[in-house]
Amino acid sequence: MLRFWLTFSALTTALVIATLLGFLLQASWPLLQSQGLSFVTEPEWYPYEALYGLLPVLVGSFWSIVLALLLAVPTGLAAAILCAELLPGRGRAVLRFSMELMAGIPSVVYGLLGLWLLLPLLESQFDLLTGRSLLAAGLLLALMILPTIMVFSETAIRAVVAEQRQTAMLLGLDWPTRLLRVLLPQAWPGIRIAILLALGRAMGETVAVMLVVGSLDRLPQPLYNLLQPAQTLTSRIGREMAEAAVGSVHWAALIASGLTLALVAMALSLLIQRWR
Amino acid sequence: MLNKFIIVGLALPALLLPGACLAYILFKGLPALSWSFLFSATEGTGFGATSGILAQLLGSLLLALAAILLATPFALGTALYYRLYASKRQQGLLAGLLNMLQSIPPIVFGLFGLIVFVHLLQWGVSLLSGAVILAMVIMPMLVLNSIASLERVPEQYTEAAQSLGLHHSAVIGRVWLVQAWPGILTGQLLGIARALSETAPILFTATVFSGVVWPESIFSPVTTLQTHIFYLAQEGSNQQVIQVAWGSAVVLLGVVAGFALLARCLSNRYEKTQRLGVE
Amino acid sequence: MVPQPKIIESAFSLGQSEPVALQVQGLNLVLAGTLVLDGIEIELAQTGITTLIGPSGAGKSTLLRCINGLHQNWQGQIELTGQDVHRWQGGWDQLRRHVGLIAQKPCVFPQSIRANVVFGVQGWRQRRRADGLVEEVLRQAALWDEVSGRLMASAETLSLGQQQRLCIARALAIKPGLLLLDEPTASLDPRSKQLIEQSIKSLAESMPVLCVTHDLEQARRLGGQVVFMCDGKVIEQADCESFFQRPQRLESREFLSWKVCEC
Repeated sequence: MLRFWLTFSALTTALVIATLLGFLLQASWPLLQSQGLSFVTEPEWYPYEALYGLLPVLVGSFWSIVLALLLAVPTGLAAAILCAELLPGRGRAVLRFSMELMAGIPSVVYGLLGLWLLLPLLESQFDLLTGRSLLAAGLLLALMILPTIMVFSETAIRAVVAEQRQTAMLLGLDWPTRLLRVLLPQAWPGIRIAILLALGRAMGETVAVMLVVGSLDRLPQPLYNLLQPAQTLTSRIGREMAEAAVGSVHWAALIASGLTLALVAMALSLLIQRWR
Repeated sequence: MLNKFIIVGLALPALLLPGACLAYILFKGLPALSWSFLFSATEGTGFGATSGILAQLLGSLLLALAAILLATPFALGTALYYRLYASKRQQGLLAGLLNMLQSIPPIVFGLFGLIVFVHLLQWGVSLLSGAVILAMVIMPMLVLNSIASLERVPEQYTEAAQSLGLHHSAVIGRVWLVQAWPGILTGQLLGIARALSETAPILFTATVFSGVVWPESIFSPVTTLQTHIFYLAQEGSNQQVIQVAWGSAVVLLGVVAGFALLARCLSNRYEKTQRLGVE
Repeated sequence: MVPQPKIIESAFSLGQSEPVALQVQGLNLVLAGTLVLDGIEIELAQTGITTLIGPSGAGKSTLLRCINGLHQNWQGQIELTGQDVHRWQGGWDQLRRHVGLIAQKPCVFPQSIRANVVFGVQGWRQRRRADGLVEEVLRQAALWDEVSGRLMASAETLSLGQQQRLCIARALAIKPGLLLLDEPTASLDPRSKQLIEQSIKSLAESMPVLCVTHDLEQARRLGGQVVFMCDGKVIEQADCESFFQRPQRLESREFLSWKVCEC
């Protein structure tokens, strides 16, 4: 009896993943049948004309994630170094606590911050008609993944064994050199994981991005223009969930987007586990 | 010395932003709070601008609690299987699958729920759909936490109990759970906090904007704080709407922080006693 | 009652009509790639002490854990009162109720003394009504006088020696047919050592006791049979007097003169 419950529970994990992928695949079949995998590189998403391109959102997601990482990683890493090395015990606890606090703020609240604080700021700064853009999404995501990077990097840096720090000191290396040649290289595997985890978080974030990205399914013109409204993979799914008619090819295209997201996220997870 | 300044300079946003964000949220939201705001339900047909958020607050809690109730048996069962029956290979496999499940963005679970629960099983937009979806979202976290808690039970206790001839179920019930329950409960509380923060997966599968104070059955929709904030954000150009949204945000933050704090207190209190006990 | 002196060469030399308490034949165990137990053959009579001595790493503790079923993937045969352990009625759980094991480091549960004593008793109602049993086993373990007034106090407030005696009482409470002790007095104070040795001797009058010890003096004091193990093999099994005075094997002689055992 006990054994049955335990074994069944353990199987549910595998079952959930399998059913998830199974149903997503099945529901996207109509699209795959009609267009094959070309929809990944199709540059137009216009359901009313049966155009189901994934490219706009892939570019959109790419830019927002890259921007978020470019902003959050240096800051997060610097804060981690500060916390692990330079701050006294009290300061360290305060900083760590404030980061954990930030990590706990629900994403929809970040969405509010983005919508009513960030957007007006961008509109006035860059003289835009609307602040909704990939820039806004990137900035907001940077804010949201900062705690992840900081907390995990700090743990990694602190984990560098005391002997190695001491040896470096005994060799007469000054602090910047110790940092660059001993601490960071040793902590790098952990920092790498922190960045990947943050990337995963940024990739999957939906609500906050939905509110500030503009939901315009179009490739940025030119490709590096971050100041126009655009769409990410997650924001498209979020927006169109309510609108797509069940069973139609539009529906299938939507599910296909979701399947893509799931597969990329799982691949990322496998990479993280490999590198652990 | 120069390098330290660079580090501090780069880290400045990380130092200032948490406080700034929190301050701003409170600044915008606290004025909206009042007794009637918290404890009366939406009336009329406005966009919730002139009314209270009681329904939403209850809905959030209801959904989170339902998710935990659904997830816990499976989470605990999986953790016990891991500890009791799984071989090294099975443990590795299980951990890998759990991490993969954990990495899937919640919106995908929402999509899955839409296909299977709302449409295929005909549950419609309902509490049940939302609860099952959220249960799937929080389950990996609950399992990994329970496994960690169980592994903290000293091996000697297990051996002593087994040497006395106790069955597996007795070892679990009278030794493992007795020792590990604070850690497991902490995980549950954190799971509730997580379920309270998820918005995307329940947006079109469990919630509606208005018309519901208390769900009639598990097959009716609910209204939650998280989604309420989202709906208001979409409509918001009206000052009042904006204020209600911020107020709801503060309340949501408070509830989430409450559970997280409870979890922290629980783990602090019992970790200490446990350490002493083992010595 | 003094057990008959005998040197066992083959397990079949025993021609008694009643089944022996423990019979181990050809026991092999491989753990993590190494042969930890190699062809172990041991016999225990229905009553009396048998001490298991030998250098560290000889496999003594492992052997105990094979007998009580904590290790299960060994080859060979173990029989308790004529019953093969693999076919024990009720499975391994019931086997472990027949074989009481006291580990080297006392492990008390973070509960009251009384709760610890009755921990192995099945059924919460039985546990509640077991006052008589509690007193009986605590007396057998030479702990009653010290704790009779505070049975509800936490077991963790006891000294290490008292905790070990508590573990003995706990094991006795499930009425085992065979008692295994794994270096029960290692790192205990002399008084606890003495009390525990006395308990073991009086218990051995009515049940078979197998006691692993590092302390040769203790083995002498306990008397009974001595089994000398080295490198996973049984080198010699003899009566206490015979072993210490006239060890038959070279390895035994070397061990007794404190030389490093090179079996």
